[in-house]
Amino acid sequence: MIYLDNAATTRPDEGAVRAAMHYLQEDFFNPSALYREGFAVHKELEEARRHILSFIAAPVGFDLIFTASGSEADNQALFCTANRGNIVTTAGEHAAIYNSAKELQKRGIEVRFAKLNGDGSVNADDLLSLVDSGTSLVSVIHVNNETGAVNPIAELAKQVKQKNRSALFHSDGVQAFGKIPFSLSSEIDLYTFSAHKIGGVRGAAGLVRKKSVNVHPLIYGGGQEKGLRSGTENLFAIKQFEFAATKKFAALESDYQKIAALNRYFRENLRGDIFEILSSPQASPYILSVSAKGLRGEVLLHMLDDEGVVVGTGSACSSKNRYSRVILACGIREKNADGVLRISFSVQNTMDEAERAVSIFNRCAGALAEKMR
Amino acid sequence: MEKVIIVRYCEIHLKGKNRGYFEKIFMMNLEKALVGIRHEIRKPSGRYIVENFDQTRTEEILEKLSRVFGTHTLSSAYKVPAELEMIYDTVKKIAPESGSFKVITNRANKSFPLNSMQLNAEIGGRLLQDFPNLTVDVHAPQHEICIDIRENGDALIFSGHIKGAGGMPVGTSGKGVLLLSGGIDSPVAGYMIAKRGMVLEALHFHSYPYTNMQAREKVEELARILSGYTGGMTLHVVSVTHIQEAIHKHCPAEMMITLLRRFMMRIAERLAEQVGGQCIITGESLGQVASQTIEGMTSSGSVVENLPILRPLVGFDKTEIIERAREIGTFETSIQPYEDCCTVFLPKHPLIRPKTEDVLRAEQKLDVEALLEEAMLSSETVRL
Repeated sequence: MIYLDNAATTRPDEGAVRAAMHYLQEDFFNPSALYREGFAVHKELEEARRHILSFIAAPVGFDLIFTASGSEADNQALFCTANRGNIVTTAGEHAAIYNSAKELQKRGIEVRFAKLNGDGSVNADDLLSLVDSGTSLVSVIHVNNETGAVNPIAELAKQVKQKNRSALFHSDGVQAFGKIPFSLSSEIDLYTFSAHKIGGVRGAAGLVRKKSVNVHPLIYGGGQEKGLRSGTENLFAIKQFEFAATKKFAALESDYQKIAALNRYFRENLRGDIFEILSSPQASPYILSVSAKGLRGEVLLHMLDDEGVVVGTGSACSSKNRYSRVILACGIREKNADGVLRISFSVQNTMDEAERAVSIFNRCAGALAEKMR
Repeated sequence: MEKVIIVRYCEIHLKGKNRGYFEKIFMMNLEKALVGIRHEIRKPSGRYIVENFDQTRTEEILEKLSRVFGTHTLSSAYKVPAELEMIYDTVKKIAPESGSFKVITNRANKSFPLNSMQLNAEIGGRLLQDFPNLTVDVHAPQHEICIDIRENGDALIFSGHIKGAGGMPVGTSGKGVLLLSGGIDSPVAGYMIAKRGMVLEALHFHSYPYTNMQAREKVEELARILSGYTGGMTLHVVSVTHIQEAIHKHCPAEMMITLLRRFMMRIAERLAEQVGGQCIITGESLGQVASQTIEGMTSSGSVVENLPILRPLVGFDKTEIIERAREIGTFETSIQPYEDCCTVFLPKHPLIRPKTEDVLRAEQKLDVEALLEEAMLSSETVRL
């Protein structure tokens, strides 16, 4: 199988799993426990927190709340900070933000959605025009999970703060963390990331918060994570995440170059008469969104699957939810929105796989186009 | 004092010499419904008694039995020796604290010292004394207290009746092939026919890679829900991918549905021949969609040579069908948004009134027999 749906989830890094196994089997203790075994794993947890945070932020200014998923961190960012005035976000957000914003809307908070550019990045002018003195939170996805478009969050945050100093700035960085080089500037108040997109296991994610920012808990209980996220810590997942992230950040640049080469190969060799490349050349190389013009993406996905190539699609084959909200917001016509496939890479993919996959892509799409004529 | 469940059946008592046959099948279906749960079922005259059952699962047993077609009503009862003091002690346990009530005695054992009226009066009188907030209302009581004096010297005491699914025991009316899409209608059609005692074998068509695996999972779930009423079900899944591709390639676009329906009916008839089916059941409702006009039904029905096609929903409105789907518990599954049949090839304007000669002319361009054989070979069987 050639696995090209790494934006959905990645294969857990084996070395990291092995290294973390003893937190599952031997050092299984509750980090809140008062005996020395509990205290020892508590120290391990704190070490993981400092270490993971250090990859993207200065620990003096930021703190990290471990959550169980990126969606949870996004929910906490939206529901547990913004509770007055209006919030501003974009049409290109992941469902964890978009649907949370919709829910806030139902609860009476004014939500403003900024338009997208054709590549899926947010239209900065539109975003800034929506921010006013009543804005309490702005949330902009860092790397769009469907097109890979990179939003310049540091610059956007700066401009937002120039318009309204008290507005908080959050970014969902699930598709950026460990993939594209960046570090959090002081204008960014909250940042979400998740383990399983970079070789971690599911069950560990985080919400980075600027220390001066007030966040309420989404989950109440025993007061773990300084009272901001109750629930016994998933130390195995967190430590495995730490090990996987360490490896990923050490190779960030070289991985980026390698992935960019795979991405380029697809761009250059997919049949131009069938495929339209939706992702801009400036997008994160980890995600390549293409449209098989006039064909239905899900049908092609099944054909590729039968040939051993696994890719994602933004849209489900259903009459109610046929087109991806984000792809339509990019201004793609419905006819082409139907045929969108998301190819997403990991460092485990090889050029040989890329070559084989592209050939299968071209063959399957050609056959389908022939059948649909 | 033992807890028992009384099961009363529907129309079986209408049957004359066949009655034994119906009763035997009904008993088998009741047994099948309770597989895996400790119980015994006896059949004294005119009803079935479930006893020695796992009392921690009483609710589950009642639910399962109420779904068996042929069940008219059920009651959860206490069984005690038919002796006045014991009867009254038990009645006190189930009697309400307040409101109006009525005692209804059924005395099969004529040697019991009090007749029905006398026992009603005796028990009613004692209740009025012991529960000052109770009143008698023999016409429209809030609570019914029922006492069955059985011939074997037992008394069954219970309050109220739980409505069963009704109908005839599955297995008493032959076997049919149900065309089961993932939609709202076909499970209801299947339910209605199964309720009249027919064993169903469901047939689902998929068009992978144009349809997805989730759609098939949904159909399996629908069949599973239906099987809760029918005591198991066999689902056949047949691919019509190549048939659709061939129609798309060789025939006018607006004829896709008309021609596809004809293939589906032919496949259904062939399957019926294989499994001993005696009819084809569809969820069609007159005029609901383009293929369900009288002309559409005539066209698809005309390829079925030897079997009747039952369309139990033909005169139903969509809202009526939805109501039934909710009642039988298939609605929530049916509305999951997966396509049950390929819409990739569906024309913008399907033919509403297909003419026989046009249909036959279009079909001449296809190797119908070869396509059918290939489809039959693709058949997979799932037992639920």
